[in-house]
Amino acid sequence: MTRPATGARDVAPDDRAPRGAAEGDEKLTRAQLAASLGAFRREFALQARRGDGGRALQERHADVMDGVVRHLVDAASVHTPKPFVVCALGGYGRRTLCLHSDVDLMILFEEEIGRDEERFVNAVLQPLWDLQLVVGHQIRELSDFEHLESGNTEFLLAALDARPIAGRHGLFDRVRARVAGLIAADRQSAVEALLTLIEARHAQFNGTIYQLEPDIKNAPGGLRDIAALRYLQTLGGEVFEADRLRTAGAIEAAEDFLLIVRGVLHAESGRDANVLTHELQERVADAMGFEGAGARERVEALMGAYFRSARGTARALARSQRTARPHAERQAPTPVGRQFEIAADGIAFTDAAMAADRPSLWIELFRLALTEGCAVSEAALDCIEENVRRYTADDFSATEGDRQALRSLFNPRPGLYARLSEMHDCGLLNRVLPEFEGIHCRVIRDFHHKYTVDEHTLLTTRGLETLWNPSTPGRRRFGMLLEELRMPEGLALALMLHDIGKAGEGDHAPESARLARTALDRLDVPADARHAIEFLVRNHLAMSQVAFRRDLDDPHVVAQFAHLVGTEELLKMLCLMTLVDVEAVSSTTLTPWKEELLWRLYVETYNQLTLGYGDELVPQDPAGLAVVIAGRPGDIAEAELTQFLEGLPRRYLALFGLASIYRHVRLARGIRRDEVHAILENHDDVWELTIVTLDKPGLFSNIAGVLSYFGMDIHRGQAMTTPVGLVLDVFEFSDEQAFLRQNPGATGEITRMLDRVVAGWVDVPGLLRGRLQSVLYRRRHSEPARLHFDNEHSQKYTVLEVVADDAPGLLHRVSRVVWEQGCDLELALIATEGRRAVDVLHLTRAGKKLVESERNTLKHELERVLEASDETR
Amino acid sequence: MKLVKAIVRPNKVDEVRDALEKLNVGGMTVTEVRGHGRQKGHTAIYRGREYDVTLLPKICIDVVVTNNVIEEVIQGIIHAARTGEIGDGRVFVLPVEGSYNIRTGEQDAS
Repeated sequence: MTRPATGARDVAPDDRAPRGAAEGDEKLTRAQLAASLGAFRREFALQARRGDGGRALQERHADVMDGVVRHLVDAASVHTPKPFVVCALGGYGRRTLCLHSDVDLMILFEEEIGRDEERFVNAVLQPLWDLQLVVGHQIRELSDFEHLESGNTEFLLAALDARPIAGRHGLFDRVRARVAGLIAADRQSAVEALLTLIEARHAQFNGTIYQLEPDIKNAPGGLRDIAALRYLQTLGGEVFEADRLRTAGAIEAAEDFLLIVRGVLHAESGRDANVLTHELQERVADAMGFEGAGARERVEALMGAYFRSARGTARALARSQRTARPHAERQAPTPVGRQFEIAADGIAFTDAAMAADRPSLWIELFRLALTEGCAVSEAALDCIEENVRRYTADDFSATEGDRQALRSLFNPRPGLYARLSEMHDCGLLNRVLPEFEGIHCRVIRDFHHKYTVDEHTLLTTRGLETLWNPSTPGRRRFGMLLEELRMPEGLALALMLHDIGKAGEGDHAPESARLARTALDRLDVPADARHAIEFLVRNHLAMSQVAFRRDLDDPHVVAQFAHLVGTEELLKMLCLMTLVDVEAVSSTTLTPWKEELLWRLYVETYNQLTLGYGDELVPQDPAGLAVVIAGRPGDIAEAELTQFLEGLPRRYLALFGLASIYRHVRLARGIRRDEVHAILENHDDVWELTIVTLDKPGLFSNIAGVLSYFGMDIHRGQAMTTPVGLVLDVFEFSDEQAFLRQNPGATGEITRMLDRVVAGWVDVPGLLRGRLQSVLYRRRHSEPARLHFDNEHSQKYTVLEVVADDAPGLLHRVSRVVWEQGCDLELALIATEGRRAVDVLHLTRAGKKLVESERNTLKHELERVLEASDETR
Repeated sequence: MKLVKAIVRPNKVDEVRDALEKLNVGGMTVTEVRGHGRQKGHTAIYRGREYDVTLLPKICIDVVVTNNVIEEVIQGIIHAARTGEIGDGRVFVLPVEGSYNIRTGEQDAS
């Protein structure tokens, strides 16, 4: 039998000529092979530590390894008479073989593998293992590829990078032709499979490039993304040609950068290490010659270069991912107004040249992208990126319209994180919020944080977004809080500002609050939202500190925290802020354990704020009282002020700003029995009615009835009665039937009706009788009402919580039953959470808490009235 | 050697750690856990609706100590973690066959 030509003799003459110590000499012993390879690798390590371990050295390493493999193949070929080819795969196939990279090989036989071929394989691999190399190997027969399917993505990709080293090229050419045919026949399946692999890999890194200790091989923006981008462009064919031409240079540069970094990592760690750890960042920065006064500055320069490189790669890949979508999804651009159009890759300017000079259009572009649920196109991002440095923050907030557009941009909704990330990547976010620039790619080393400060911040907005569609019951409860917020955009803005103080050293929360004030000034944020945002930024760590480190069974701990937050709205905002802030630290930081503690603190504090607030009066907050006294205008005497405040609950100071408090004092002046002093005013879409009067039986029920009579939908309210009988009620409501909007004299009509009702001239139940049964008031009943009495939280009051489907006249009916049962309504909190009314009423009967029999009777009567009203609807 | 496994209130971790440091206990493992003992959870009320919190958040602290300090360590943990209320937690003591330093491969003295 004639022995067939060995693989080594079959290597194509155009193969790169081997270089280095192991090259060319087929008679080298294994010891000599080990010595020469070892010498090369020691030299590699030395050069890599100097920052010279990039592409050129890795290609030389691949060449040296080729020589080693060829030598072994040639020696082993005596074992098999069958044709074969040995191919390099993966990074080795691409000739980027780093110091400790795996040596991935495929040994392909033309015919069935027998014992001779096994001996051949062993003779090739065993010496490689003896050389302490990590060898990845696939042993194949040609017949394996007869039934190759396009779904076998891993192999298809490996085949794209495969490079024959030894053996019969013709054999490899047949496999390559088979793979090419497969791709041509079902290009889209291969592309889809690749996209799935990319997305799964990105998910392991929370989909962000901004890792504090990035895996430069696997993380988004890393070497695998560069390979994936090239695979996509190869698999996808001509449709990617424009992408390829556009990105080739930048991608090559990004790869060069990463290869050098990887060389240092391998040399310094002595293994196949690809994570740029904090410890290694300093060594890499020094090796690559990044400059800076100290280690921190050098590391920041390195990481800044890394993030720029990774961002370029990630954007290029994202563009190719979009290009790869099925053709059916790509349609002709759809106009959106005169200035914009939605193209295949997102919303774009219809006239980029004109848009370059009109930065207000840029904000509108992002607003529309959020509204339309699409990305911002690459062309639009490029336009903004090229022109953004021409403008300052003031150019984006010159008019009230500009400021309003900016403020509303932060409203948490699906896509906010992606759009803010696009704004960040193209430089617009730093222009609009220059306070953000200090934390751009900012690396703060601690044990827990996984992302740069800016990315951590942006990820908090993603956390808010996900609460719209919570994935677990545990998250659903937090999602409900988000739905209940009055100003969710304020929370998102607070999140954007909460860590800007990390630009400097030291305690960042107060510094963030200081810097936030500048941003809030520029955006002209309304006073109540501003107060909330400043509070949240300043105290964004408070809830986690209490929830995870303090004893939640201790009522003093909860009371202290309740005093800090002051109102349910701030509590909800801080709770959500804490949740998403912890979640954005790393993918594993927010455990169910922490969620449970956070929720428990929320519930305990909520109950303290709503059930237990009545016992503490304003004088028990001397600091708060002093602020109110010190800031009083000239027309209000201290005695008048303190007399007004002394019977009000301490909560009053947390609920109202100074201007409102002084207005209430003036409103209370000269009030007499059967009189009512009222202010009715409009704030955007919401009306606010403030009433001061003197207490009398059924008063609250009658006032609520008047609002229902005029078709007002009460959203929230506060009712407070002082021990001397002064009543202060504040209601917020919407004018559902446009009574106020359409009738010029309507406000006067309402206040006159209030005068008559308070004076006792109007029978309110009679007034409402026909009206509440009207078809206009019918609403679908969804859930039975819940009544809960609490006799524990307050020393003075029995607290009744009523949770029921919101309905016209509900508050009037409930409070009327309370009055009819001989109870005094001392304090009331009225809220509407979605479609549910949540009313918390502080009651006494003959000046005392209700005993059990009284509570039972009241409960029975309330259930009867609520059930009856359900039936009428 | 003994493995001391202490289940304590989350807010007591710092105090237990301080107590162990005073006893020169070199290392510890802290794990977030949920469970219940005699405390059996509790009923919470939110907006008029009762719900049971049956598995309460606790912290599990594991330390391995030599036999000659075991009593001091147990008492130190109990003293630091106690509030006197139900739900203070438990301390379990388990025998340890051996202990090795992974970096050096050395076996610790028992």
